[in-house]
Amino acid sequence: MEDSEFEDVLDDWFIESLKTYKDLHVYQLEHPTKVIEWTSEKTVCVAGYTSSKNEILELRLPLKLLADKNKGLCAERDFKVTYGGFTEGAVCCLTHVPGTRCLVTNDGLSSDLQLWELGGDDSDVIRRTGLVQGRSLSDGGSKIAAQLSPSPQVLHGGLISDVLLTELSSGLTVYKLETQSSDRLSSLQFESEAVFLAGCTNGSVYVADTRTSAAPQLLPPPESSHESVQWWADVCAGPHLSCSRLIRLSSVGVAVVSDLRNAGTSVSRAQLDVNAQRSNPDIRVCWSPTLHDYVSVSGFGGVVEIYNVSSWSTDSQVVAESLFQHRGHAVSSNVDVSVVVTAHTWHPERPRTLMSAASDGSVHVWDWVEPHQSA
Amino acid sequence: MTCARRIFIKINVIKIGRTVGACRRFFHAELVRHESSGLPIVHHNQYVCELPVNHRFPMAKFPRVLHFLLKDQVITDKQVWAPKIPSKELLSCVHTEEYLQNFINGNVEEKDQRRTGFPWSQGLVRRCRYETGGTVLAAEVALQRGLACSTAGGTHHAFPSYGSGFCLLNDLAVAAKYVLNNSSKRKVLIVDLDVHQGDGTAFIFKEDPSVFTFSVHCAKNFPLRKQQSDLDVSVQDGLEDKEYLSTVEAHLPHLLQTFRPDLVLYDAGVDPHQEDELGRLRLTDQGLYQRDLYVMKTVVSRGIPVAAVIGGGYSRDIDKLALRHSIVQRAATQVWRECGM
Repeated sequence: MEDSEFEDVLDDWFIESLKTYKDLHVYQLEHPTKVIEWTSEKTVCVAGYTSSKNEILELRLPLKLLADKNKGLCAERDFKVTYGGFTEGAVCCLTHVPGTRCLVTNDGLSSDLQLWELGGDDSDVIRRTGLVQGRSLSDGGSKIAAQLSPSPQVLHGGLISDVLLTELSSGLTVYKLETQSSDRLSSLQFESEAVFLAGCTNGSVYVADTRTSAAPQLLPPPESSHESVQWWADVCAGPHLSCSRLIRLSSVGVAVVSDLRNAGTSVSRAQLDVNAQRSNPDIRVCWSPTLHDYVSVSGFGGVVEIYNVSSWSTDSQVVAESLFQHRGHAVSSNVDVSVVVTAHTWHPERPRTLMSAASDGSVHVWDWVEPHQSA
Repeated sequence: MTCARRIFIKINVIKIGRTVGACRRFFHAELVRHESSGLPIVHHNQYVCELPVNHRFPMAKFPRVLHFLLKDQVITDKQVWAPKIPSKELLSCVHTEEYLQNFINGNVEEKDQRRTGFPWSQGLVRRCRYETGGTVLAAEVALQRGLACSTAGGTHHAFPSYGSGFCLLNDLAVAAKYVLNNSSKRKVLIVDLDVHQGDGTAFIFKEDPSVFTFSVHCAKNFPLRKQQSDLDVSVQDGLEDKEYLSTVEAHLPHLLQTFRPDLVLYDAGVDPHQEDELGRLRLTDQGLYQRDLYVMKTVVSRGIPVAAVIGGGYSRDIDKLALRHSIVQRAATQVWRECGM
């Protein structure tokens, strides 16, 4: 596209965004990230994924976004780098241990994890403090989850047979998942202090209780008419008992919602209108932490989509319509290769605030307007 | 005796009526204020229209500007002139027949509506026309009285055949063209200090040597696709009061000296303010006041009439925004006083 044509597109997008967003802030990283992890309600961590040295950064959100009143008084509309460090390899997974200044990363190749500390000793450096060894000898990296109690612990593994729960202070293994299968993991998540879910790329989900030595409960993959699809999962583990749902999304856009309280029976399904040709390991599906029934999806292209699953039925033929599409990354990228959203996340408290990153290094934080309320 | 007196009086009345009628012909106004010796302010209650709930454009600001000027006793209502709605013919000195026809009749495509930022409505058409009429009247009154301000205006993103960025008719262009076509005036200078480039105005007068377009704007703001004014000064993000004023001071006197306009149209946009939601500069209230005072005093002291419009400003706090917009009328009041107008 010619420069002036592209500027026109951006100008059109700007006027449109005034209507569709309450706020929209755009930032450009030197190198793209595949991870966005909250370290507080105002700060996130991102990191590069090239095969050699990468930067790992903690960014503070623009003050203008965070100020609900007196928005005008905040001149600062940019992200600010608060802490930084360097890694030896790519960062494909990054998890913050809640309540600490500790980060855990994995390079997507080996099963070992790197431990980091943010700042400390009045410095603004993110420095390596240790290593957690994984169990697996196979390639493909590990997924990570972390929790603070009963003590700071990290859950990790690349295959379902390698999953370990490691206590950080001692380095001791607190729990080992014993299973015969060796399915590759696509997600690892705590549902509560003692229960975690391990989602596999073949669509099956294991529910394990770390207090018992009993075998984990296995939820079989959703029915799918497609061969060789991959699956990603997210569990909605709100403080209310009623909210214990699982969503699974396939690489061809089939989305299935299941009720964990009811042995994982399928509650609803939908076909999402996605570009299924792309096989992308960075597909993400997330429940909103605050809005019941809201789910976000990215990784199929340059767009992040938000859905309200309450309108989904059990008929999987129905193509679900998204409630909102964040097209900022796709619109503002003027490169020949289509840009892909590599990561996104909901703000832990602000209901409609999300953050997204794309393969061109762009990072956006946006506060979207519910469509029926907009102009 | 009685008959004679009646005839005498009748003759007198006709004479007066003719005079008043002649004055009325010079102004596109619904309400004129010949008897007031104060700064002329142009306002119409039709400057506003209904917009969908939560629409970003701060439509409510226009009546609030007048409200604060009256409440703070900067002006009295005796100074307020009201424009007449401009005819399609008047608007066609800038806009194409096709565009005007479609615009007035609501034949606007969805994608064109989107670029303007407004959903089309009859009310929208009416308020845009009155706003343009307000700028035309301000120009007419400025020519007679030396200085005048509208409580709206500055729709500089409108092009002859399409609207953009909350602008549907280019009021500054229509006012400039009207003055040139209907008076002995030969040159108009448009000083556009809104933080967004006056791209529509620049385009309209690109080949026209009788109108000089001067725009000071932030490079990174909308529109990214810039047009070419006669003089564009593109500034960096974060510019503050002192440097901003120096920038204006570096160009204005020279322009007045070399171009020698017969009229200056001044877009006093407040979006360079640090609290503006869309602008990227850091001016304060004082900075805006000093800027407006400088521009209007510099022009008036050279004996050149100036008509000011409020230009752009974006904030969710309508009262704060309206107060900010009222700065130009306050500065104009001071100029009016100091220059003994």
